[in-house]
Amino acid sequence: MRQSDRTPTLLRGTLLLGVLAVAAAYREVPPSRFWANWLLWFILFFTVALGSLFLVALEHLVNAKWSVPVRRVPERLATLLIPACLMGLVAFAALPVLFPGTRPAALHDPQLAGKAFWLSIPFVSLRALVVFGLVLTGLAVLVGGSLRQDATRDPAFNVRARKFAPAFMAMFALSITLVAFDWISALTPAWYSDIFGVYLFAGAFLGGLAATSLAVLHLKAQGRLEGVRRDHLYNLGGFLFAFTVFWSYIGFAQYLLMWYANLPDEVVYFQARLAGGWHAVTILLAVLHFVMPFFALITRDAKGDGARLRRVAVLMLAAHVLDMYWLIFPALGGGPRLGWPEVGFALCFLSLALLWVRGALQKGEDMPVGDPFLQEGLEFRL
Amino acid sequence: MSSGKVASVLGLFDTSDALMEAIPKVKGKNLGRLEAYTPYPIHGIDEALGLRRSPLGGMVLVMGILGAITAFGFEFWVSAVDYPLVTGGKAPWSWEAFIPIMFEVTVLFATFTAGLGMMILLNKLPFFGHPVLASDAIKAITRDRFALSIEAEGEGFDAEAARAALAAAGATGIETLPAPDETPAFTAEYLLRSAGGIFIACVLAGLATYGAVKLFPVLPPMSHMEDQPKLDAQKPDAFFKDGFGMRMPVPGTVARGYLPLGVASEDAAASLVNPLAPTPAVLAEGRRLFQIRCAVCHGPLADGTPSLTSAYGAKPADLQAQRVRDFPDGKIFWVITMGKNAMPSHAADLTVDQRWAIVYYVRALQRAQNATDAEAKEAGAR
Repeated sequence: MRQSDRTPTLLRGTLLLGVLAVAAAYREVPPSRFWANWLLWFILFFTVALGSLFLVALEHLVNAKWSVPVRRVPERLATLLIPACLMGLVAFAALPVLFPGTRPAALHDPQLAGKAFWLSIPFVSLRALVVFGLVLTGLAVLVGGSLRQDATRDPAFNVRARKFAPAFMAMFALSITLVAFDWISALTPAWYSDIFGVYLFAGAFLGGLAATSLAVLHLKAQGRLEGVRRDHLYNLGGFLFAFTVFWSYIGFAQYLLMWYANLPDEVVYFQARLAGGWHAVTILLAVLHFVMPFFALITRDAKGDGARLRRVAVLMLAAHVLDMYWLIFPALGGGPRLGWPEVGFALCFLSLALLWVRGALQKGEDMPVGDPFLQEGLEFRL
Repeated sequence: MSSGKVASVLGLFDTSDALMEAIPKVKGKNLGRLEAYTPYPIHGIDEALGLRRSPLGGMVLVMGILGAITAFGFEFWVSAVDYPLVTGGKAPWSWEAFIPIMFEVTVLFATFTAGLGMMILLNKLPFFGHPVLASDAIKAITRDRFALSIEAEGEGFDAEAARAALAAAGATGIETLPAPDETPAFTAEYLLRSAGGIFIACVLAGLATYGAVKLFPVLPPMSHMEDQPKLDAQKPDAFFKDGFGMRMPVPGTVARGYLPLGVASEDAAASLVNPLAPTPAVLAEGRRLFQIRCAVCHGPLADGTPSLTSAYGAKPADLQAQRVRDFPDGKIFWVITMGKNAMPSHAADLTVDQRWAIVYYVRALQRAQNATDAEAKEAGAR
């Protein structure tokens, strides 16, 4: 217990250090680099939180029983949407710095002239506000309702959530696609890929799953998720395994078509990521995001093995960070950058995320005790 | 049917708990391999029975990897080794293009291994009946009873000891199942009947196809592009007033290579001069065309004695005759162009230049056949 008492103090220390580094970066490094870092962490918070919320909604949608005992974990992780949306509001300041489509010159660029209104600051901001509204509504209905159910024990919430889940799926699809197009794809506005929203979804869901698995294992190690067994872990591992393949499938499908067609306005995107230092990053991403987790989780024993699942979940989160870095940073031009500003941002926002999640994990019950299917979920066997 | 041998001894239990409790008691006696038959899956029974882990997963993995290697090897050999072909500007060795096929073949090998390995290797299908299916207990087993059977393996099976062990473990009903005849599944009669059945099916399918084609003879499966609103060569068409699909050339049109001669009679043609230079290329072209167009009647040496003469009784001109050797070039050209006696005009087959080339070759033949000794020596010396 003593160790866990010290952890928040330590995290607050690293957070302070990180905030100082971020402040220094604001003064010292070019604005494009500062805002690229900001954008990276906004997207990371947003995707991991939204991926967790998607997992919650998916469970309601298909009326899953096995996941009820661990559902509180993604519900708590989904509250990261609140700081994520605040970071998104701050990220509006990045629009004129990072996004060529917002500049007046875009009106005279033949490749952008037609998109100028869509890419203009007011419309992008409006869409971002709509997206934040949609996802926070989902959070309020699904997570807020579940937390209230702890006290009321009212099974009506399950019915409400199941009816809301299909609508949320549409809201989710719109949100993640708009975020992918407006905040990542728009960094290179002349380039476009229809599947880009799906690519971000695959990464986001994997991030949410990995964070969920990690938090479940953390709580289980503390003895707070009594009754959660190997069978539950196996399902999380199976999900993680399946979606590494899905992510690779989407990522490679996007690459293959552009590589084959070799159209100038499409292929530039991968040209930038296969030139110079980015080539190594691309290969590293394929290894970390697909090859390693795929073979680590391929056997039946591995998917239910807590120790291995923990390692794969950490790997998966790291791979997700690398994936988002790989999406955003090439837009700055030049090779991959990893200096004190990047480390400082990581320190700041990782500490913030851990503090937030720690706080969320302390509040309320560890399982949705009001859910009538909790017992059935605890009795779940493969 | 029964051979007097025992396949297994079956004990019925009223509840799944009774079955689970009985398993360790019977297992300790080592009477034979244990098998359980239950109306629904019972968690943990695999471990209780001590069933080994199915090797199917490993088989599927190995065959899947083999599928990937096969597809890669084949594609590499086809597109980079055996028939290197640049497609879409890509290098013959382009791993990106191989990936979809590798993926498909991996899945193909893996699913076939899973399906066939499960059915043929592990479940030993096909067999015509399982002893349990012929037992009295089968109705109870598929309804609400739980059976534990001790399977006979080899000669040393003690059926009485097995019955005693099951009774001691609390079985409410015990049945000894006779082993089925050990006749092999693929007897000559079975194979003959199968072949006969397949033959009859083929004949019926053939007759049905024949009848269908006869009944509905002209039902084109697809008629796209068969009827097109266009004029067809050599076909009547109502589009033009004269009813012809093809048009006559505008009066005065001259086809390329068919300039008018500018002379009107054989005698006038004597004044024409061969416009070509007697180069080796022209002579070679003249020989080629002579052998195609002229040698059939005039003979390969132009002496009017070809094999056709005896067949048709015609008497083609001997071009080696003094009369012809005295012809001016223009007169030979005129004959080729207009024809003479039974010889038809070759104006439609040969361009003007081709006719002049033939004239050169005829001159060459004439000179060769009538060479003086001095000329022959000179030619031989070359």
